Amino acid sequence: MPYTPEHDEVPNPLRPGLRAESAPEPCALVIFGGTGDLAQRKLVPALYNLAVTGHLPAAFGIVGVAKSELSQQEYAQSMREAVGKFSRTKPIDPDIWQDFAAGMRYVAGSFDDPDTFARLRAQLEELDRARSTRGNRLYYCATPPSAFPTLLQQLKGAGLINPPNDSRFTRIVIEKPFGHDLASARALNRLIQEICDERQVFRIDHYLGKETVQNLLVFRFANSIFEPIWNRRFVDHVQITAFEELGVAGRGRYYEEAGILRDMIQNHVLQLVCLSGMEPPVAFDADAVRDEKVKVLRAVEPFQSPEEVARSVVLGQYTAGSVAGADVPGYQQEKDVAPGSRTPTFVALRLNIRSWRWDGVPFYLRSAKRMPKRATEIAVFFHSLPHSLFGEGATQPNVLIIRVQPEEGIALRFAVKVPGERYMPRTVSMDFRYGTAFGMTVPEAYERLLLDAMRGDQTLFTRRDEIEAAWRIVDSILRVSESKEFPPPNPYPAGTWGPPEADQLIARDGRAWRRL
Amino acid sequence: MEATVSEQFGEPISAGAAPRTWGSGELTLKFDDGFDLARVERLLQQARERGGPAPETLCTLNLVAIYFNAGQYERAQEALEMAGTLHPCRLIVVIADGITPEESLSARVSVVRSAGAITVERIVLAATGRAVRHLESAMTGLLRAELPRVVVWGGRPHGDLMRRAVEAADRIITDSGARPPGYLAETAKLLGKGAPIGDLAWARIFPWQSLAADTLDLPTLREHRGNIRKARVVCAGAVGAEGLLLLGWMQSRIKRLEVRIEAEGEAEEEPASAAGPIPRCAPLGLGQVKLFEFEASPATFTLRREKGLLLADVKGDDDGYTANRVRLPPETPGRLLALELKILSGADELYAQAAQAAAKLLAAVRS
Repeated sequence: MPYTPEHDEVPNPLRPGLRAESAPEPCALVIFGGTGDLAQRKLVPALYNLAVTGHLPAAFGIVGVAKSELSQQEYAQSMREAVGKFSRTKPIDPDIWQDFAAGMRYVAGSFDDPDTFARLRAQLEELDRARSTRGNRLYYCATPPSAFPTLLQQLKGAGLINPPNDSRFTRIVIEKPFGHDLASARALNRLIQEICDERQVFRIDHYLGKETVQNLLVFRFANSIFEPIWNRRFVDHVQITAFEELGVAGRGRYYEEAGILRDMIQNHVLQLVCLSGMEPPVAFDADAVRDEKVKVLRAVEPFQSPEEVARSVVLGQYTAGSVAGADVPGYQQEKDVAPGSRTPTFVALRLNIRSWRWDGVPFYLRSAKRMPKRATEIAVFFHSLPHSLFGEGATQPNVLIIRVQPEEGIALRFAVKVPGERYMPRTVSMDFRYGTAFGMTVPEAYERLLLDAMRGDQTLFTRRDEIEAAWRIVDSILRVSESKEFPPPNPYPAGTWGPPEADQLIARDGRAWRRL
Repeated sequence: MEATVSEQFGEPISAGAAPRTWGSGELTLKFDDGFDLARVERLLQQARERGGPAPETLCTLNLVAIYFNAGQYERAQEALEMAGTLHPCRLIVVIADGITPEESLSARVSVVRSAGAITVERIVLAATGRAVRHLESAMTGLLRAELPRVVVWGGRPHGDLMRRAVEAADRIITDSGARPPGYLAETAKLLGKGAPIGDLAWARIFPWQSLAADTLDLPTLREHRGNIRKARVVCAGAVGAEGLLLLGWMQSRIKRLEVRIEAEGEAEEEPASAAGPIPRCAPLGLGQVKLFEFEASPATFTLRREKGLLLADVKGDDDGYTANRVRLPPETPGRLLALELKILSGADELYAQAAQAAAKLLAAVRS
């Protein structure tokens, strides 16, 4: 009997109380950009690891779609090499690989060509027969954003998108950057809305797949001691840092269009702002969590004037220097970067969140390339003591640090008495290393996110209104910073902590950046 | 209803591996007259410092494992270590050998490190003869304050010690699958009184339960959800606790369900060697579930093992097809114990209902 929604009215008698999470339904995953860097470094290794851990549905197939002319065997071989190189579990298990590769297909062709999608359709139907994937489709757009509209229209034209209430699911995963600015993000959202339903769209931000980022929700909402002090009465300010050692790593063309604001702030860093600033959701489900996140973004005060941007935002660009003991070129000497480029590779900025909880508590954000070390963290600085019993300057404010990467964990800085006769306070750090605590390898972010997309769980994916609210903030900076009147980014030598103007930005408020 | 009920079951919560020798990092104390807990604590501190300064000690629970001879513990050691690594703990092993007449008391301590951090502090308290009377108070004195207390019970689920364990522990974990099915009936009695018991046999059937539930969630099969009337389980070699629990679970979920349990064939041999670097699913043990079938007219759902997979075939008006399948996880006792340790206190209501229904079913099988 064909599926009708009335069948959902009888609850599954076997589901209540089961401890195991429901397994994903059989499906075929189509990777557009199937030979690209993301597919090789992240997606296919993540899928292989899901097979290793037994989370992948046994009825599963992968179809790579890209321009390169490759046979099925050549594609499978190139993916085997990628998995051998980039998988977190090594060496490759021949039995698991054999079954995994048996469901791997490849379609060569241009995304502009409707024939590519006719062949994709035939390939998917063959997978349904050979691997019992049952008509369920997960399309992963691992392509430059300029290809998204074409892909969506071609999928629709080829009849490859089922309606949301069809018994065979169609889901589309879209990689960042989602749009180039607010207007383009809105246009892309409108196009998506014409082609499919919001319930079918999974806008991915891989930061949300990191265990430590998810742990932030548990840390905040599963402990009773932190939430009462997580507000303007006790918190002085919050610093969110996302630093990389790497430069643009051969992605000069992309980076010239994006810059640090689009590449990091609009997505990853603002997601960290949301998770640290949000109210407790009414339930732990996709919409309840995302409702609270979007409220934070809506409460962020956009920058109203060029003067305000100049006062609250510092941009920088790296020049030649030394990172980790090796000489590295400046940004403008990188491949595909224009001489005289004004693209920022560093940003430090101050945000105000106008909400009952956070009004008056500045959130300082900084993100950059070519820093002395890689570090992503959220540091919550609590108020200084109203009166020090142990002498002026003898104590420092308590700081709670949530390290996202590397050395994922949580540290709390507090004062203790140095053993001896005098009352001499000393700040110590109590450190919990999340990554090693539970004796297991922490799964890669993409493993969690791909599994959630297969299960249809959108909690860790960004919703339409969230994307647009984030763009509203970043757009208010870009409108000013990309005008010719705005000064070019401040130079900083690679391997340093950024331009001195960033230190001045926070020093004006009587504060300093946390030393990393 | 006919079935073979065998008494030939294995060791409780064992690793299924050859006995391990004591770790080289283990420190030992012998006592003449009662334990000296201060000396045990000092020895533990020495063990902590032996591998260099430890950056942190993580502890989420007190895991107390109770055995009645040294061999039982040796066989379970690997499982306890694995579970302890996934759930950082103070592991207190109590070996109460009251059968050996000679009196002796000893404590052995060691730590397990994971990526530098100490994740298991292990204290093995062993006593023979009349000296076993000191074990309970020694164990109590070594528990870490505040943390949940979970007891891994390696004996029959009755007696004074078991009663006191039920009273003192937040949770007790047994393995009724490693015991003749009659033990499940004894466990069900305790569950009926609210004892917070967990069972590795229950964890062993999670893949069967999940696949059955997932298959009924497939859009084209949801129409059958309300029509389940009959269920049947086939166990390997003899009726075992897993099969009884699976049917007990079905009966607790679906009213007026007609059930049948059978045994056929034999348990599988241990594979001679692993084919690859990833652990494989365990071979089908004696009494474990080989096939699970339920009828929801006009469809019949058959769940069966095939190589490393669990398949769900559906047959109705047509010729039938495989609707769903999952890869069977490597069900080592350590992994199963780690799964059960996800609940640190209280009873698993679903298990309690299933075990009580299973006990009634067993009584019917035997009659």
